[in-house]
Amino acid sequence: MRRALLPLLCAAALAAGSASAATVEVLVQTPAGTPLADAAVLVEPLAGTPARPRARAPGAKGVAIEQRGREFIPWMTVVQTGTSVDFPNNDTMRHHVYSFSEPKRFEIKLYAGKPGQPVVFDKPGQVDIGCNIHDWMEAHVLVVDTPYFARTGADGRAAVTNVPAGHYRVRPWHPLQKAAVAPQDIEIEEAPVRMTLLLDARARQPKPHTEDDPDRY
Amino acid sequence: MSSRSLRHRIAIVFVGLLVLVMGLVLALVHHSSERIVERETRRELAVGAKVFQRLLEQNQRQLETAAAVLSADFAFREAIATQDQPTVRSVIRNHGQRIHAQVMMVAGTDGKLIATTQRASAAGDPFPFPDLIAAAEVSGRSAGLRQMRNGQLSGQLYQVVLVPIQAPTRIAWVAMGFHVDDRWAADMAGITGLGVQIVRTRAPGVLASSGASAGTQDASVEVPLDGGLQAVLRLPVAQVQAPFEQLQGRLLGVIVAAVAVFAAGSVMLAGRIVRPLHELSAAARRIAQGDYAQPLPPAPRDEIGQLAGSFEQMRTEIASREERIARLAYVDALTDLPNRTRFLEAFGRLSPGAGGAVLVVNVDRFALINNALGHVVGDRLLRAVAGQLQPLVPEGGMLARLWGDQFAFLLESAGPEAARRFADTVLAALRDPVTLDGQRLDIGASVGIALFPDDGLDAATLLRRAELALATAKRRHAGIAFAQETGGEPAHEQLSLIGDMRRALAAGEFTLAYQPKLALGSGRIVAVEALLRWQHPERGSIAPARFIPFAEQTGFIREITPWVLESAVHQAAAWHAAGLDIAVSANLSTLDLLDPHLGRRVRDLLEAHAVPARRLCLEITESALMDDPALAQAHLDELAGLGIKLSIDDYGVGQASLAYLKSLSVDELKLDRSFITAITESPRNAAIVESTIMLSHALGLTVVAEGVETPAELRWLREHGCDIAQGYGIGRPMTAAQFEHWLAEFALRTVA
Repeated sequence: MRRALLPLLCAAALAAGSASAATVEVLVQTPAGTPLADAAVLVEPLAGTPARPRARAPGAKGVAIEQRGREFIPWMTVVQTGTSVDFPNNDTMRHHVYSFSEPKRFEIKLYAGKPGQPVVFDKPGQVDIGCNIHDWMEAHVLVVDTPYFARTGADGRAAVTNVPAGHYRVRPWHPLQKAAVAPQDIEIEEAPVRMTLLLDARARQPKPHTEDDPDRY
Repeated sequence: MSSRSLRHRIAIVFVGLLVLVMGLVLALVHHSSERIVERETRRELAVGAKVFQRLLEQNQRQLETAAAVLSADFAFREAIATQDQPTVRSVIRNHGQRIHAQVMMVAGTDGKLIATTQRASAAGDPFPFPDLIAAAEVSGRSAGLRQMRNGQLSGQLYQVVLVPIQAPTRIAWVAMGFHVDDRWAADMAGITGLGVQIVRTRAPGVLASSGASAGTQDASVEVPLDGGLQAVLRLPVAQVQAPFEQLQGRLLGVIVAAVAVFAAGSVMLAGRIVRPLHELSAAARRIAQGDYAQPLPPAPRDEIGQLAGSFEQMRTEIASREERIARLAYVDALTDLPNRTRFLEAFGRLSPGAGGAVLVVNVDRFALINNALGHVVGDRLLRAVAGQLQPLVPEGGMLARLWGDQFAFLLESAGPEAARRFADTVLAALRDPVTLDGQRLDIGASVGIALFPDDGLDAATLLRRAELALATAKRRHAGIAFAQETGGEPAHEQLSLIGDMRRALAAGEFTLAYQPKLALGSGRIVAVEALLRWQHPERGSIAPARFIPFAEQTGFIREITPWVLESAVHQAAAWHAAGLDIAVSANLSTLDLLDPHLGRRVRDLLEAHAVPARRLCLEITESALMDDPALAQAHLDELAGLGIKLSIDDYGVGQASLAYLKSLSVDELKLDRSFITAITESPRNAAIVESTIMLSHALGLTVVAEGVETPAELRWLREHGCDIAQGYGIGRPMTAAQFEHWLAEFALRTVA
């Protein structure tokens, strides 16, 4: 029966894909049922579905991870492969931003204001970014190939908009996840897709600014 | 050891108490020390264990901090992040040396080694202590004591600290190991003050030790560590004990010294207490022996001193009292001369074997003077005589008043001649008249002399012999007589006489002799006195004076008197039957007079022989009356009631007064022969006899003169109204037959 159905489904998808786009609304929560914020929801086209570039072209509106109040903002950023990211420093002191992560190693030594060159994330993967002066400062950049992704808000919900019809694989990701979960394949047509994904991860907990602790020094 | 000595007892009690108290103190200190040592040991161990744990924690935190600082080093993190083996190994070696870690290991988050300084391990091997990683996952970092099992450092114990490498998320673990060895243990021991050993729980073998092998006397506490290990903290008990043992040693020394000092002190104190006691007891012994002269040694002013004072007072008072008693016992109160007892004692003190003489002096006619002039005068006369005799006492001699008017001299080393010369001086001294209240009294004296050792060895014998000699002297009017002249009388004879008397009575050796009594008025023989004679088969005739006193003393007289009475009454009956008007007198002794059956017996005799009572006369001496005057008077009254004549014999020798005699139912007074002998010698004494005769007549008494020997005396008596005379001058005592014959002749002579 499955053999009989598959061609039918494929045909339907192809027909719809070229014709329209839809939104994928995802609720990410932990197995305990807690909504998980700062999780990435990736919608990856499967074979047969063209991965067209996103509506807004890379660089058109620059992606930035600014440093303000001795914190990276945002804490979690999802970018498509090849995206340049600026690290503007809005603090009064200098920062020393670095990454030892395999997809992108870089180091922006003690700077103030906007560094001269943005960092181009050219390989997919998770890049953990820290500041060598402020150990608690932490930012994560998830570099993905797909143009369809979104980040969950405080309510654990994310909406990936304007996804053309076709076959996709939906995958949640969180920088502090304990293990990757199996992706779910979905068929997108005109109707928006709503789904709930479970991800076992530790929610972000703001690290104390140990520099401010008067007892320490 | 039970000591009788007060000194020892005091010392033993004092020292014993001290030893007891000190022993208790020592035991208490010992007990307390043990408890303190025990508590102190526990406390030190507890404190040491706490310090040890704290040190361990601090050490660990320091290592953790150091490790954390190191792991945060950017270059270090960067190097680790390169994942390049040689680089990573280099950097861990380099940074390991910075914090003096002996072992460095880097493990990935997957638990596999990335790099290690351990040669035996290689990258890709699992991290050897996954439990540390598990712990670090929870709390960010972990630490623990771990043993490296593999490689050349196998068995070596490390304190392992595991910290994450954050970039900024955890990208790897770095483990740093620090040696836990003997030096470490020694450092810990130095701080905790306890011996430190790290051992595996329930397994032999010491992994680290501060040295000094565990002693058997050690107290220990176990502090559990992680990784199946424990620390054994040891404290040598001896170390805690040492100060207490030193203390106890010193205390023991002090106690020994104190006991020694106390023993010496108490012995000295006891000595000071006991020495005066010894002196007191020596003094008491002296006093017991009669030595009151030596005063007690001075004593301290304490209780013993008070005792000594009492003792001293006792000594002086006993001395004075004894002196008084001795005076009472030995001194004649009337004349202040030594008494008879003192005289006997003085004789006893003579050196044995020495010769000498005992002189008994008797004042002639003293009783007469005493009765005529009264006792007061008699006493003054005796004092005067004593005053005259006193100066005559030679050196070493003694003068005593024996009784009444009897005095005695003791002359040591005096022979017969010297004794006679002395007796002459005594008589010469008493020949002078004594003047009392202006009244001159002529007195004379007689002296009996006994020589020792010839006449006897003891004072009693000598006095008796001298008294016998005195009696002889008086009888002879010789003034002086020697005992030897009175005939030998061995001392033992008296004893045999007593035994002989009983036999003599049975054998009929006693006879009665009758001496006539002449009535001076009518010139008729009116009576006879029955006198007891003893014809001893071996010794011949024994004078009454020689056995009657003994018969009286032994009580045998009570057997003799009935015989005498029987014989006398029998004779009286015979003469009465023959028509002779002769009364018979018999003598009664003291014992006879006290016999309650006397009256009945005499009455029975008279009735049995049918003799009129007036034919019997009983003569009683003054002294017999004086023994028990009331009883004597009762018996005399009874006899008088029978109609028997009663006569006072030997009047003038005793002390009885005429006034007393008048109260008795007596009829007759017999003047002692000594008065009769005196009448022709001294007119003044004759006056005394004359007045006695007159007084007796005034009282209604018949007066009998005894011992009349000469016609002159007879004539004087007749002229002065004496009623009856008796004596050799009239007729000697004779048998009944002789008397009858003599009476016939007398009648013829008188008629002629």
